[in-house]
Amino acid sequence: MLLNLQPTSSVSIQYHPFFGPHDDLVLLELDEKLLSDVLYQRVTLRGQPDEDAVLCTKSKTYSVKFVGTSNSVFLIPPADYSTSHESGGENYNQQVPTASVIKVAPGNMELVEVAPRLDKLKSILSENLYSSDEASTAMGDLYKWDDLINKVQASDDELKAGLQALSAVEIDGYWRIVDEKYMDVILRMLLHNSVLNDWSLDSLVEDKVVSVLESDGFPRKLVYHCLNVYGSRVEEAMDGGVWRLDARRVCVHFARGILREGKRKMESFMEEWLRMIPEEIQPSFDMLEGEVLTEKLGVETWVRALSVSSLPTTPADRFSILFKERAKWEWKDLEPYIRDLNVPGLSSEALLLKYTRRSQPSIDAEPVFSAR
Amino acid sequence: MQIQVKCSCGAEKCPEWAIIELQGVVEVQPSFQHSLQNLQIGLLCRPSSQENYTFTVGYHELTGYKVALKKPMVVLKKIKYMDVERQIDEATSSSSCVELDVVGFIRHKILFKTRPTALISGPQPTVKEKINAEGA
Repeated sequence: MLLNLQPTSSVSIQYHPFFGPHDDLVLLELDEKLLSDVLYQRVTLRGQPDEDAVLCTKSKTYSVKFVGTSNSVFLIPPADYSTSHESGGENYNQQVPTASVIKVAPGNMELVEVAPRLDKLKSILSENLYSSDEASTAMGDLYKWDDLINKVQASDDELKAGLQALSAVEIDGYWRIVDEKYMDVILRMLLHNSVLNDWSLDSLVEDKVVSVLESDGFPRKLVYHCLNVYGSRVEEAMDGGVWRLDARRVCVHFARGILREGKRKMESFMEEWLRMIPEEIQPSFDMLEGEVLTEKLGVETWVRALSVSSLPTTPADRFSILFKERAKWEWKDLEPYIRDLNVPGLSSEALLLKYTRRSQPSIDAEPVFSAR
Repeated sequence: MQIQVKCSCGAEKCPEWAIIELQGVVEVQPSFQHSLQNLQIGLLCRPSSQENYTFTVGYHELTGYKVALKKPMVVLKKIKYMDVERQIDEATSSSSCVELDVVGFIRHKILFKTRPTALISGPQPTVKEKINAEGA
């Protein structure tokens, strides 16, 4: 046919018997590596009617954009193509081979890889935090995995990673974020029992921890969740189910609790913080990078909370908030607040170039970043 | 909302479609505007063993070549259907479903981007090629 036109032959190009606008036929340009995902039915389009659709493979998200052309693009299906109408149109000319144009395409769709749109995940899961008085207050919208797929524009793998980053937990099939105050209660109870029972925070025996806390009235699922959030499994343990608390995560938790009510003077903060942290754990102020900001006001140094996890995931919004919090940043302070930013195709240097203005007061001074 | 992208013909049997691309617009004589179907647009010839082609539309002759697309394309067909069994979902305002079906793929096109040459003493065309104002 047309694709294999032999040398010295010709083919008559005609309008197809069913030539028309066929708005239901669209062309989609894609990278070679995506072609088999599409042909083997491994991609979906996701989004609400009021959102721009995204195309998702198992692990990546792409925005879909239409690109028009001023050229005439004649689209020619294979010879046996028929639309929903009956296959009609007589072949008047059996001698001359023909190829038929079904439509003139105005352009095609293009894909651009994008970061998953996970801010929505956080906001919908925050509508109904799981708290200690759950039984009486559980109401409103709760979301199962399939509900999240329908609402959040992200691939399956990215959605899973997003849930992990939010420390979300699946309870009775619903994905929930647990209220920080409730997590605090559970953690303190765990630490209190560690002292009582002489448990080492480096080798907490899962079965023991769970049974003790369950008898104190905490749901099993949440005790496991607490271990997951503040610790990690010890792989080398002979009989599985041994956990080690993560020093940084525990210290950050207590710092956030202290600063929840507002900023504090450094001495006051340090005194309370050190008092709350269990003996076995060695705190260091570096652990709080990306969680707190320090400011000199007069002769005093103050500490206030600013957690990177509370900031938007889109670069433009992230930088906007950061520059509202503080007009000028040195790199060492800024870096922890942008290191998690993910924009496919943009390195962190490119991000800085795009969203910040860099200035250097003098040759040996530290460069400073401010809003563009 | 999630729309599955299907390939009902099966990946291995998915047919290859073709594209002929012109820098210009094909004009149809007014009397034929509403009955385009089956009308001949032109004759495509491949004079030699090279991938050069000529396309004769009315009394214009275009020369072009076959080229591999820098990125492949798929042809998607939007299918809307009413799912009477599904309950009306609060999240969507109607119970109609949309699916996308991959009906073909495209890897090559035959591209004509030079100025057409006029064939002298050709027949009165019912279809003729008109050059874009900004065309080559």
